[in-house]
Amino acid sequence: MSLHAGDLATVGKPGPCRTASRRFGRWRRATQIAILLFYVALPFAGATSVTGTLVALKLGPVDLLEPAAALSAAFAARTVGWWLLLGVAPVALLAAALGPVYCSWLCSFGLLSETLDRLRPRRSRRWSGQPWVGVRRVRLSALAAFFALSLGLGLPLAALLAPPRLATALPIEALASSGLPIVTVSLLAAVLAIELLGPRRLVCRALCPVGALANLLRTPFSLRPRFDEQRCGCPDIAPCLQDCPWGIDPREMRLHDGCTTCLACVDRCPSGALSTSRRPSRGPIRGRSPGLHL
Amino acid sequence: MNGSAAAFLRRLVAPPPLRPPGALDERAFDALCIRCGRCIEVCPHRALLPAGVGAGYGLGTPMIEPRREPCWLCMKCPPVCPTGALRPVHEPRDAAMGRARVVEAGCYAFQGVLCRTCLDACPLQGEAIRQDTELRPAVTERCVGCGLCERRCPAPGSAIRVVPRGHRA
Repeated sequence: MSLHAGDLATVGKPGPCRTASRRFGRWRRATQIAILLFYVALPFAGATSVTGTLVALKLGPVDLLEPAAALSAAFAARTVGWWLLLGVAPVALLAAALGPVYCSWLCSFGLLSETLDRLRPRRSRRWSGQPWVGVRRVRLSALAAFFALSLGLGLPLAALLAPPRLATALPIEALASSGLPIVTVSLLAAVLAIELLGPRRLVCRALCPVGALANLLRTPFSLRPRFDEQRCGCPDIAPCLQDCPWGIDPREMRLHDGCTTCLACVDRCPSGALSTSRRPSRGPIRGRSPGLHL
Repeated sequence: MNGSAAAFLRRLVAPPPLRPPGALDERAFDALCIRCGRCIEVCPHRALLPAGVGAGYGLGTPMIEPRREPCWLCMKCPPVCPTGALRPVHEPRDAAMGRARVVEAGCYAFQGVLCRTCLDACPLQGEAIRQDTELRPAVTERCVGCGLCERRCPAPGSAIRVVPRGHRA
């Protein structure tokens, strides 16, 4: 069965009825593509003040470090330095303020994963039940395993295997070795194969240490879709739920449900019941449960 | 996993490769390097490469193959390291990457041929490689292991080779 925004616009009783916009979607895609092109072009620019990948970017005096990779190295080396705190703080603050936008708006692997996802047959792109419930456990276990193995083996596994690193280090390594860097290419191919053949977007949803930590850094005041029950006139299977890449119902947000603030649901909402907010939604939703479960 | 198991894993793989200037000792380097690629990216000579599977723990870390492209001691890579796996050394004399060793059996000068290619190639002119009384090259302790001599040596397979600092002599 399929629902179209047009059908629902007539169903939605209150609020101005409008069809789906692509407000956030367009900006998000443009940002993702711009970042991918930036990392592909960067090694050819030969700049020394701007260098790096999605796990460590140097912009002149500013040094940005992806928290999961940096923590993994700190565990592996069993040291803590100023580099850790200073590099990680801006990226962690971004996640705390805007949610895991690293995954949905910035990550080049996320863009590859979304593209591969479109190649899937329609049937395997449908969610059943509440897919984020089980995934949350896998995600936290994977992150814990990454850190434990980093500590035990003395090897920063979360950095080595981080999909955003693999995607953005590839152009650098290809240019330096004037060929295909075998290790990075095979690791990236393996991760993409899991993404294509495994459960839908498993790497992004559950296995990626970067995404798992970005999700942990969400606070109740991080940017999120805000739901206004009064304006919603949609049935249970609403277009917002159908468009969520993670199978989350935006009408029942939880703190650690894996929402990455892509805002596809806000774009798709025909009645204006979904907007963006830094505050959790309030009040019972259709008598089922309160809006935000901590 | 305890320390001895990790040590066992390490022993299975090849000895450590030649590192860029300022690298910490092997164990700390493999642990702190997040494989971000900044040193590889910033190297103007494309001398740095990501290590392959043979490097074991060093998988993906930067390394130098002097016979392909040696280190020109421009010292651009240590400052870009985000985690301090490369210490910020600025002086080429402090690069401490390894030390060249002359393979006497292959060296032309040891066979009575007048050859001073390695001495001419050395960026630390007259300091790292000197000629002894019989005009044969002798590496001093000032050698930092950049590999320029190894790259230029005309003998087949190079008669002067850098031993990375991580190797036990």
